[in-house]
Amino acid sequence: MALTNFVKSIRNIMRNDAGINGDAQRIEQIAWMLFLKVYDEKENDWEFNEDNYVSFIPENCRWRNWAKDDGTGKAMTADTLLDFVNNTLFPTLKKLEVTPTTPMRSAIVQTTFQDANQYMKDGVLLRQVINVIDQLDLGDYEESHAFGEIYEAILKEMQSAGSAGEFYTPRALTDFMAEIIQPKVGEKMADFACGTGGFITSWLNALDKKVKTAEDREQYAKSVFGIEKKQFPYMLCVTNMLLHDIDSPKIMHDNSLAKDVLNYTDDDKFDVVLMNPPYGGSEKNDIKKHFPADLSSSETADLFMVLIMHRLKENGRAAVILPDGFLFGTDNAKMAIKEKLLREFNVHTIIRLPGSIFSPYTSINTNIIFFNNEKVEDAPEGFSTKETWFFRLDMPEGYKHFSKTKPMRVEHCQPIRDWWTDRKEIVTTDDDGNVVDEKSRCFKVEELMVKSCNFDQCKFPKADEEVLPPAELLADYHKRREAMDKQIDDMLSKIQTLLGL
Amino acid sequence: MNAQQLRNSILQQAIQGKLVAQDPNDEPASVLLQRIRKEKERLAKEGKLKKKDLESKPIEEDEIPFEIPESWEWVRLQYLCTRFSTGPFGTMVHKEDYVDLEGHPLVNPTNIKNGKIVAEGIKKVSNTKYKELGSYVLQTNDLVLARRGDLSKIAIVTEKENGWLAGTGAFFMHFLDGLFLPYFIVLYSSFYCQSYLLDQSVGGTMNNLNQKLLSDFLLPLPPLVEQRRIVAKIEELMPLVERYGKAQDELDKLNESLPARLRQSILQEAIQGRLVPQDPKEEPASELLKRIRKEKEQLVKEKTLKAKDASVTPLQSDEISYTIPNGWAFVRLKDICQLSDGEKQTGSHICMDAKYLRGKKTGDILESGKFVKKGDNIILVDGENSGEVFTAPIDGYMGSTFKKLWVSSELYLPYILNIIRSYKETLRNSKKGAAIPHLNKDIFYNIEVGIPPFSEQKRIVAKVEELFGVIG
Repeated sequence: MALTNFVKSIRNIMRNDAGINGDAQRIEQIAWMLFLKVYDEKENDWEFNEDNYVSFIPENCRWRNWAKDDGTGKAMTADTLLDFVNNTLFPTLKKLEVTPTTPMRSAIVQTTFQDANQYMKDGVLLRQVINVIDQLDLGDYEESHAFGEIYEAILKEMQSAGSAGEFYTPRALTDFMAEIIQPKVGEKMADFACGTGGFITSWLNALDKKVKTAEDREQYAKSVFGIEKKQFPYMLCVTNMLLHDIDSPKIMHDNSLAKDVLNYTDDDKFDVVLMNPPYGGSEKNDIKKHFPADLSSSETADLFMVLIMHRLKENGRAAVILPDGFLFGTDNAKMAIKEKLLREFNVHTIIRLPGSIFSPYTSINTNIIFFNNEKVEDAPEGFSTKETWFFRLDMPEGYKHFSKTKPMRVEHCQPIRDWWTDRKEIVTTDDDGNVVDEKSRCFKVEELMVKSCNFDQCKFPKADEEVLPPAELLADYHKRREAMDKQIDDMLSKIQTLLGL
Repeated sequence: MNAQQLRNSILQQAIQGKLVAQDPNDEPASVLLQRIRKEKERLAKEGKLKKKDLESKPIEEDEIPFEIPESWEWVRLQYLCTRFSTGPFGTMVHKEDYVDLEGHPLVNPTNIKNGKIVAEGIKKVSNTKYKELGSYVLQTNDLVLARRGDLSKIAIVTEKENGWLAGTGAFFMHFLDGLFLPYFIVLYSSFYCQSYLLDQSVGGTMNNLNQKLLSDFLLPLPPLVEQRRIVAKIEELMPLVERYGKAQDELDKLNESLPARLRQSILQEAIQGRLVPQDPKEEPASELLKRIRKEKEQLVKEKTLKAKDASVTPLQSDEISYTIPNGWAFVRLKDICQLSDGEKQTGSHICMDAKYLRGKKTGDILESGKFVKKGDNIILVDGENSGEVFTAPIDGYMGSTFKKLWVSSELYLPYILNIIRSYKETLRNSKKGAAIPHLNKDIFYNIEVGIPPFSEQKRIVAKVEELFGVIG
């Protein structure tokens, strides 16, 4: 059946089920069924290639046995089906025994079902949905690949489902970052808050182009690593990996921040880190205690930065999406983190992104920070960064803001690509020679230190501002005012010292 | 506080001897003055100075503006000068005297920037003219200042400008050794000196330098080495003050912009249904839409509405970029309101233009125009305030920049007006850079409007007004 109708058909069927309240639950419901269907398809491959393949799933719970409708009228439906799913399938899968020796591809069945939910209340409708899903012919390479894209569409829908949207970074961005970081065969990348696996799949797509031999293909399959704390996106990420032929995906269902950062060894480090950490979270002491005291912020995004700094291999490359608050924030932990970044890493590029990229989930302003674990040759004493380039990506022509119907596309990143290899400062002045706007500038590390690590440079002109919801508007206002107050206080205290006061 | 206030405060400290410590080993200013007097006597003997310039007007107790350290002295500015002169009079230099290429530069206030003479764009005169203006030739270490306009402009003449001319807007002087010129510039820039000059300056619209005033100016004179120390300290401080100034300006801008941004943000919350909670007991908006449809059909029958404008087409959820609250319906403005020209009529009536409606003038009477009734709503479609809605207080003609606005009576009018208000910015910009802002009808009609249940419309408006009352 046409894949384009896939999502619509399911939506129409589920609309009539009293148990599904809203888009978020609908997507959760589809997710576990898709996982089982995709997994079943994978098992076909494994059976074909291995003589002794035994499924980790008990026979009566395998999709091919309970879900398939062969048209003879014998398939379970209505109350029988509902009873089976609620009282046999789910409990069995949740209780599967996983030991340290269980292979990843088997373990993921249990970890995926751990907190999965079955919402539907109508067995007949459930049968209809199962049939729609079963009609996907994932054995066909083309269809499987095309489905990967439908899956992306489902994930994208989550963005508009409100709070579930926090796990999804627009693919235009993840593709751009994966491409510009230049993956190489043999390298290992990590995303410590991988959500639905966007950065990982973008990395795989970019790396795929460089695979030439069978050995390369093996390296390719082992090149990714992810950690996701929340059950639901974890499930989606694992399914996503299977769809990308990563059979034993190293995706951990865990809290990245719950280990002492100082305990990481070289084996825990990666060549590349690509990620978009969660913002606005507030961590308690039981998490903060895993971080050195001077760097232990209560803000989740800050702690992720420290984590990355401890898990990036020497000469490793990182690209991280962070909110404006990190750039101009002046609380003690942020200052310490930013200073440590400049001293021990090469922060070579900061890209300012237009607001509304994460629309409609949030209108927050974000930025990409690129840094490498290396020391630039002629950096000043005590620093690894010599200079940082700033570039502001303006809204594309004809766009007032991005939205569900007009999202960011890969080509919108082209101005960054054009500027990347031949970097020039772009400054506009008026007739009197006064600077009117700075779109791109290079700041020496000494200048950044003098500005008290205020990375809020090459800002967007006021006119381009999004209308933020009050909560975000006020939070932004307070952060900025605090940052400016701090700058002013620093300046005045220097002046006071000189005055001998 | 701002940077200017801080600068003034620091300069004041400087000229009162409180910025840097006094050093008892420094040669006191009194001794310095004695040396200056000896030098003046020598110059008088050589005929280079007039005898009367050897003395200066005595300083009265009550003239002294503030206390200065022991080692300092008060002295009148004229006493320290060997030259003290205005530039040439306007009659001495005419437009025709200026040459384009080679010539002798004339220094006027516009050529003075940041304590230096700037050569770019400077006017020049011919050799012949230069000879005529012999008494206005500048020498190295002269001080040249503005004698009109911005009286704080002052510059030291360097080797490079030696031999240039003082222009018609300039004033120049030369000090004897003993006054460190950069210290004088600090003093000249201080509030003490500038307010002294401005308070009593002669001239109506433009400030003018009063020569007599300047020559009598009471100058606090520190020991020579202390003058240098003061200048060094100021040079350390001023860049910091400037940086502080920029940061303060940014903060002020941030604070100024907050109320408007907050209002805009609240309006957005309101019209997207996030400002007040929904009440599932209220009649859903879909019912409202049905009644609006009937209302429009009735108007078509009465011929006040064209048939093509009678439709009411709710938008689907996937056409909206955010979650639709329960009980709401989404339509476009064209479904619920209409712009029209009003009836053309003749007869004497007041013309209601924006000024009249704001109470700024009594109305003009016209004999014909586009008629509206008392209570009709009219909206501005041209000019700065395009998108603003007024209610006609009387029967009369609409101003030429207005159109009549019909809004379905099934809706709570203030709610719809709030929506239109929040889009005012978008409506005004029909073309970027258009000379006159203009309400773009297509944009207007296509605006997506969230319609809540009727009582929720009222609750939203009440909340908005409450919040706006607090913001001010």
